[in-house]
Amino acid sequence: MTVIETRQLAKNFTFRDVLASVDLTIERGSVVGLLGTNGSGKSTLIKCLLGLLKANKGTSKIFGEDSWALSAHAKARIGYVPQKPNFYPWMSAMDIVDYMGAFYETWDRDWTRELMKRWALPTCDRAEALSPGQKQRLSMVMALGHRPELIVLDEPVASLDPLGRRESLRQLIEVTQDGDHTMLYSTHILSDLERVATHVAILAGGRIICYDELDVLKERFKRLRLSAAKNLPDSFSIPDALQMTKSGKEAVVTLPNVSEDLIQRLKQQWDCEITIEDLNLEEIFLELSSGEGSR
Amino acid sequence: MALVTKELTRQAHYGSNTLMRELTVLFQISPSSGVPIYRQIMDQVRSLVQSGRWQTGTMVPSVRQMAVDLDINAMTVSKAYARLEIDGVLERVRGTGMRVMATPSVVNPTNLGSLNSRKEQLRPAAVEFLAQGKQFGLSLEQSLAVATKVAQEISEASSQAKVLK
Repeated sequence: MTVIETRQLAKNFTFRDVLASVDLTIERGSVVGLLGTNGSGKSTLIKCLLGLLKANKGTSKIFGEDSWALSAHAKARIGYVPQKPNFYPWMSAMDIVDYMGAFYETWDRDWTRELMKRWALPTCDRAEALSPGQKQRLSMVMALGHRPELIVLDEPVASLDPLGRRESLRQLIEVTQDGDHTMLYSTHILSDLERVATHVAILAGGRIICYDELDVLKERFKRLRLSAAKNLPDSFSIPDALQMTKSGKEAVVTLPNVSEDLIQRLKQQWDCEITIEDLNLEEIFLELSSGEGSR
Repeated sequence: MALVTKELTRQAHYGSNTLMRELTVLFQISPSSGVPIYRQIMDQVRSLVQSGRWQTGTMVPSVRQMAVDLDINAMTVSKAYARLEIDGVLERVRGTGMRVMATPSVVNPTNLGSLNSRKEQLRPAAVEFLAQGKQFGLSLEQSLAVATKVAQEISEASSQAKVLK
């Protein structure tokens, strides 16, 4: 079942085009990491998806409904953790959660109590006295209390230290990973993503330049080191190569779709030995986004 | 503090079932590697079975437990287990989980092929190893000495692990 679907979604502000044409389809049960450099439009995309910003062109649907005209029913199925936790500083953590609950028909008060206990949130302290990590977790409790099917997080953990980030994400994954929940979270910190994401979407130049399963990405992107018997000709090139450097008999090439077949063909074509290197997500991301920049 | 909550969460899930915890401790996942996490799990289960550390009939840790203990997505663990089932390493026991197959195909030499073909399979790794040694300006002997040293360290570490056990 499709949860999120955008077609040629575009958004520009007065002086800047942020989203050029975004096509993204997210199926139920996926945990999607939305990657992009600072200022690539991750937050704008998320806000357009949730109907917090109106897109200029294209369509955006959540649960089959237009993002800009979501029914109360659809909204009740979405949980949103904004970039900055947002609540009254003078209220206690527990009061904030209950206050939030008043807006929802299906608020599960016991569940919020359990989450707060599980995530070691001091319930009676004033919100302003909480640590950044605790504020973040409070924000997560607020987003989860109505047991949403879709959870959207905008750089949820950017303000935390690495241990806190990992902990927050892990806790979130723990209560949501059952194949029924769908999660979309934006981040520019790749190490957060690699443990938990099933899919990765890379936003660059106002488009999704890559969307695939994380495992598939790692299996398909490879760096090849070619070492030929004689100097490689000036005409040396490989179709689809993202990056290529050549000097004398040696060449290093990054390719998006490497198969045994391709390796054999290249070996014959250029009369060379080939070693294949795996790429981690960070390397894939860098290769893809730098390729995009030079285009 | 974070570690305390982690421990609490784990206890909430498994009570005091420490036996199973001992099994997931055997795994070492490196998320930032270029090898997908499910592959890492598959490789490590294979070598646990191959080395005889996990014998026929051993119940493997549940998907959920692996996910919580290793901080990874449960779907990744499911994927690894499902592939291992297809490969004939694990089998599903109705209602209880997965266990090591009676004659797991990893220890069956016919599946691995002849000694020569197994040696052949190691070739790419050897080529890469030697190429890297060259890049670091090491002679063949020096590179091989590194490999020998690592082998010693591994065997020391595993004998220590046995003593601890």
